[in-house]
Amino acid sequence: MGDKTVKKFLFYVLYTALAVLFIFPLVYMVVSSFKNDDQIVRDMSSIAAFIPYGELSVQNYRDVFQKLNFLKYFTNSMTISLCSVAIGTLVNAMMGYVLGMLQFKGKNLLFAVILAFMIVPNESIIINRFLVVNNLKMVNTLPGLMVPWLAMPMYIYLFYNHFRRMPYELVDAAVVDGESYVGIFWKIMLPLSKPICATVAIMIYIHAWGDLLWPTMVTRDDSLRTLPQALRSLFQSDQTLWGQVFAFGTLATIPVFLLFLTFQKQFVESLASTGIKG
Amino acid sequence: MAKRVTTKKGSKSIRSQGFAALVLGAPALVLITVFMLLPFVMSIGYSFTDKMLVSGKNNTVNFVGLSNYIKLFTSEAFRQACINTVFYTVMVVPSILILAVLLAVLINRKAKGIALFRMIYFSPQVITMTVVAVVWAFIYSPGENGLLNSFLGLFGIEPQLWLKSSSQAMPSIAFMSVWQALGMQAVIVLGGLQYISPDLYEAGKVDGCNSIQEFFYITLPLLRNTITYVIVTNTISSLRLFTQVYVLTNGGPMGATNSIVFQMYKTGFNNNQVGYASAMAVVFCGTVLIISILQNKYLGGED
Repeated sequence: MGDKTVKKFLFYVLYTALAVLFIFPLVYMVVSSFKNDDQIVRDMSSIAAFIPYGELSVQNYRDVFQKLNFLKYFTNSMTISLCSVAIGTLVNAMMGYVLGMLQFKGKNLLFAVILAFMIVPNESIIINRFLVVNNLKMVNTLPGLMVPWLAMPMYIYLFYNHFRRMPYELVDAAVVDGESYVGIFWKIMLPLSKPICATVAIMIYIHAWGDLLWPTMVTRDDSLRTLPQALRSLFQSDQTLWGQVFAFGTLATIPVFLLFLTFQKQFVESLASTGIKG
Repeated sequence: MAKRVTTKKGSKSIRSQGFAALVLGAPALVLITVFMLLPFVMSIGYSFTDKMLVSGKNNTVNFVGLSNYIKLFTSEAFRQACINTVFYTVMVVPSILILAVLLAVLINRKAKGIALFRMIYFSPQVITMTVVAVVWAFIYSPGENGLLNSFLGLFGIEPQLWLKSSSQAMPSIAFMSVWQALGMQAVIVLGGLQYISPDLYEAGKVDGCNSIQEFFYITLPLLRNTITYVIVTNTISSLRLFTQVYVLTNGGPMGATNSIVFQMYKTGFNNNQVGYASAMAVVFCGTVLIISILQNKYLGGED
């Protein structure tokens, strides 16, 4: 009995030590965001770095909103993310349904093309994608930031995998009732697909919220910049204002973290299914 | 007669399915054609030309044959970018694999509050990479007062330069990336572990297996598919290294963290050489393709 308790205790010590290892940068960022730059530098050589004490204030947050115009970047990132989620989820779901449940001419070719593009890394076509967007006069516009990323073969594949496992009797029954195949998607299939929709929506959101390469390529005006871009320039400015960097980082993390806490299960699933085997 | 009716009904059904496919599939089809297929074809096409990003009156696009590829394979900068990227991948992938399996085995127990610990281990993955990078930049502050340096100082280790040193910068970025990805990879491995039937471990016990033998003779072989998955996805994402470099080091110090994608971005975007960057893109894409096929072939199971 005693041995078992000791063993259990040791496991919890190990679990806690690991938890500290994984969470200390986050705690550090949040704690420091309430300190002024002098104190951040003074505290960084000891455990004090992780302790909220001294002259704590929300001055960094005030500066981030007033001097750095945080709200503008936040609005840009949020607009892009939410629009991408709404349109992207639907567009990919429709194609997934088409490939997973319908029979039509050219289906095999279409499916082969989409499977093939699942392996092509986005980075390898990104410069020419920029040329396309440039020719469409979409550079430096909000649509230019999000439209190219709406339909992604991987998301289509996830939906395809979902729909092909749905009971086909549902379709047959609806057809007998005189429902069209478009109507079947909207009225029957989509309402039955909420979990997979949530998974893909989260994947789209995380990508849109965190992407740095594409926004760097297509935005010219500061008024269109996203949060990661703004944070990068804040960090790379000649004299890094750490307090503001940490406040900025904390604010940029809050929405994703809230989402994570609310939809933990879908979050784990969506991040874990980012591969071919699905 | 009856047969004819069915075929007629069948073909009508096919036609109305075709119509629905067209209506519902069109948006995704158009988007993929315009933003994936077209750029892909352009990448291959332009890789044989001297296409520039900003085409003015004076620079027409000329066919240059294989010269972009020849330039690429003789370029010192590209060679270094490849070496750096491979170096990064070789550090990251085995570390993630070994640590994720260990962590997964560790958290594959029924214990009070284990769900909370799993959530904490997973949480770094949720934070945007740019945010992760700037926080680690502070942790990696050089000088004896830096966060990591002060901590290591407790064990008598001299202050290091980390991101400012050409030999330590890439390992520092790799460590940060492993830290971020580990929890999620462990959750993936955990998913694989939970598929293994407890009966097998029972049988193992009957045959007198100790827990180390259990791990090597039961757990590992049955994790084969999951392990392949972890290796393939992490290899590909490591080869795509960009954000960490772009935020933390801009390829420095002295090109030590210049990655393939970063080099491609600089060539196409800062130096305007779309033709040359396209050749890099084609080589990069081919490499990723070959690696994922090979890994699937040699590591994957029969399925």
